[in-house]
Amino acid sequence: MIPLMNAFACLLALAVTVFYWRSPLRIFKETVIIVGSLALFCVYSYFAGDMTDPQMQHYPFRMLALALCFSTTALPNKRRRYLLIAEVMWLWIEFFGGIALYYQGVDMPWTRILALAVSVLGSTFLSRISHEMEFALMAYWIAVWVFF
Amino acid sequence: MIFRILLYVGLALLLPGLAALGFSLWEGPAAWSLDARTFWGVPISLFVFWIGIAHAGTLISAILLALGVNLDRRTSLLAELTTLCALVVAAAFPLMHLGVVENFYMVIPFADARGSFANVRSPLVWDFCCIAVYAVLSLVYFAIHLLADRFQSLEDLRRPMAWLLFPLVLWVHTIVSLDFAATFVPNWQGAFFPLYFITGAIFSGLAMVNVLLVAEGCRVRLLEKLMLACSFVMLLFWGWIFALRGEWNFSVFAFAALLPQLWWVSSVRESAFGRLAISLSVLIGLWLERYYLVLPTNPETFGWVDAGLIAFSLGLFTTLLVFLRVKLRKPIEGGELVFGELDEKQAPVVEHHTEPLTSREFIVLRFPLLLGVLVALVYTLWAVASPAFETTAVGVPNVFPLFYPIVALVATIVLCARPAWNIGRGSRYLKIAFIVIATLFAFLAGMFYAGGSSTPSKFLTGVEIPAEGDSAVVPDSLHARAIWNARCSSCHGVDGKFNEKFIREFYPVPQKLTAERLDSLGEDSLVHVIMGGRANMNPYVDRITEAEARALVRYMRSLAPAHIPAPETNETAPETNETAPETNEAAPETNIPAASSDPQQTESLQQSSEVTQ
Repeated sequence: MIPLMNAFACLLALAVTVFYWRSPLRIFKETVIIVGSLALFCVYSYFAGDMTDPQMQHYPFRMLALALCFSTTALPNKRRRYLLIAEVMWLWIEFFGGIALYYQGVDMPWTRILALAVSVLGSTFLSRISHEMEFALMAYWIAVWVFF
Repeated sequence: MIFRILLYVGLALLLPGLAALGFSLWEGPAAWSLDARTFWGVPISLFVFWIGIAHAGTLISAILLALGVNLDRRTSLLAELTTLCALVVAAAFPLMHLGVVENFYMVIPFADARGSFANVRSPLVWDFCCIAVYAVLSLVYFAIHLLADRFQSLEDLRRPMAWLLFPLVLWVHTIVSLDFAATFVPNWQGAFFPLYFITGAIFSGLAMVNVLLVAEGCRVRLLEKLMLACSFVMLLFWGWIFALRGEWNFSVFAFAALLPQLWWVSSVRESAFGRLAISLSVLIGLWLERYYLVLPTNPETFGWVDAGLIAFSLGLFTTLLVFLRVKLRKPIEGGELVFGELDEKQAPVVEHHTEPLTSREFIVLRFPLLLGVLVALVYTLWAVASPAFETTAVGVPNVFPLFYPIVALVATIVLCARPAWNIGRGSRYLKIAFIVIATLFAFLAGMFYAGGSSTPSKFLTGVEIPAEGDSAVVPDSLHARAIWNARCSSCHGVDGKFNEKFIREFYPVPQKLTAERLDSLGEDSLVHVIMGGRANMNPYVDRITEAEARALVRYMRSLAPAHIPAPETNETAPETNETAPETNEAAPETNIPAASSDPQQTESLQQSSEVTQ
């Protein structure tokens, strides 16, 4: 995928988070929204990327993880816990997806993995998540997505 | 009454299933139908199916507890019991699938007395380690839950244990998914497989727990809603697979995605029969999904052994579950607890801000986790630096899958040590149980460290083996065959064409041995390899004489065909191997035995390595 489309993917992930975790929380509503956004990411990946590239195999799921990370900054309660879970999920997808690709001959994305690991570790020490911190976290995730 | 019926049904399936199991163990992988492209068959599809159910049981109980979602005690205990029974069933199939059941200990990633070390590049080794740790922790979690009524100190361990199991359960199924994703089979190459497998596991586990709840005469609406949500997610995964590879299976779609939509119909979901039918439909659909995944070419030779193995798995699971459920009726049902009752006391809502890393769970977990991480780091460094890997490239991605299981195991031991000590101090039975378990563990560890017997036995070979001291006599071909069958056949195969099941999953696939190649390399260099060993082959210098090694080479020559055409199944391998960081092709160049210090010998071994690899 070309860098421009990759950046658009990040914007798309950011855009769909508007619909996440709106009260009242209902298991069906949230599931449908997440599945719907994942379907959107799949369609986007299919048309915006080269499907013969092995790295596209988990691209929509990476987008979902990014969207979940973004969405946790807007949660009213237990933000740190869910922020950490979303970050770990992203790290999980990157790392184990990377291992699967490693066995196909693709290099592990170590820079991205390390950046996310640092983010996870740092987030465990977060105290109050202020608006400035929310912005900084989102900027960090965007940087990880776009540059790494 | 329902349990008695289920017990009879279980036994009716188990007994004929045992015949299929016995035949499979006796005959080896040739007993069941194998996919021509993947070399895998029904046992692996059953393994993936049952391990999914096993993961979901604890996952439902532990993750909901960790995230603060309340589930009643009886449902969560039922889910945990499902995990244990499904694990027993699942564990049987990879062992059978090895084809060399008695050598299963070779997958334990630790050095034995001979200096052998399991090939940590193989997902099978990851599987063994992860599933063993998961089984131990699930058992501990279940025991803590059962005994928490009697010993209040155990109640405090449940949440920390749930937090340890939360990542472990996801980790283990991720590793199972890598069994597929790390191969060269094009249908299995998917970096999204970890998420796909985890969702499938949750879905099948929910369906199984719903089936059991119907048997118990109860229902938990939360689990039904989660099942419906899972069907949406699975549908999306299948859609993505279709977009990637154009694969679509209507029967799987119908059973596991279409029929579960009947949850929307109130008359169906309000009826026990309706709930049972939907849950069974999901289980059938997900089994079919695993079957078509493992056997993509869908061989037409689905024989009685395959059907028998399915019956065995269903029968063993049902019998075991019903037996344990009936035996544990009192602690599971409790004196007063009924379905719907909350599992633990509601924690008071804390309105004020909590400082990071100061909650009780963190404090209780912090030290055990740090110790676990330390042990896992030491292990990783030791494993990567092991002499066994001097000639084989092993990277962090190969060893890292073992990391968290080690962390979780060490953390659990440390976490439970003090409460176990406090409880055990006052009970003679617990002391005896602890001594028995420790002795058994030490015995098994000693057996593993010693490794299997290296003496050819009459039982295995069918011929008498000359006693020590007769080594000066040049062995005849019968003796050579006896040594071959005893020492070489587990990897190279009785007929010299390799034990495909064993080799392919443990080690890099060796090159075929043709008469032309053997002749071109000569007897001396092959004798050196046998005596000095290679990367994945033990040295036999202390165990056989040179005369016996020469006889072995000649026997191998008699087994080797003049020419072996390239198998169709390897068509895709060269393409993928070109870019792979650790390819089979690269191994012969690097795998020079460390023991050879003589340059001449080294040169000859470099040549011979092509043959034996």
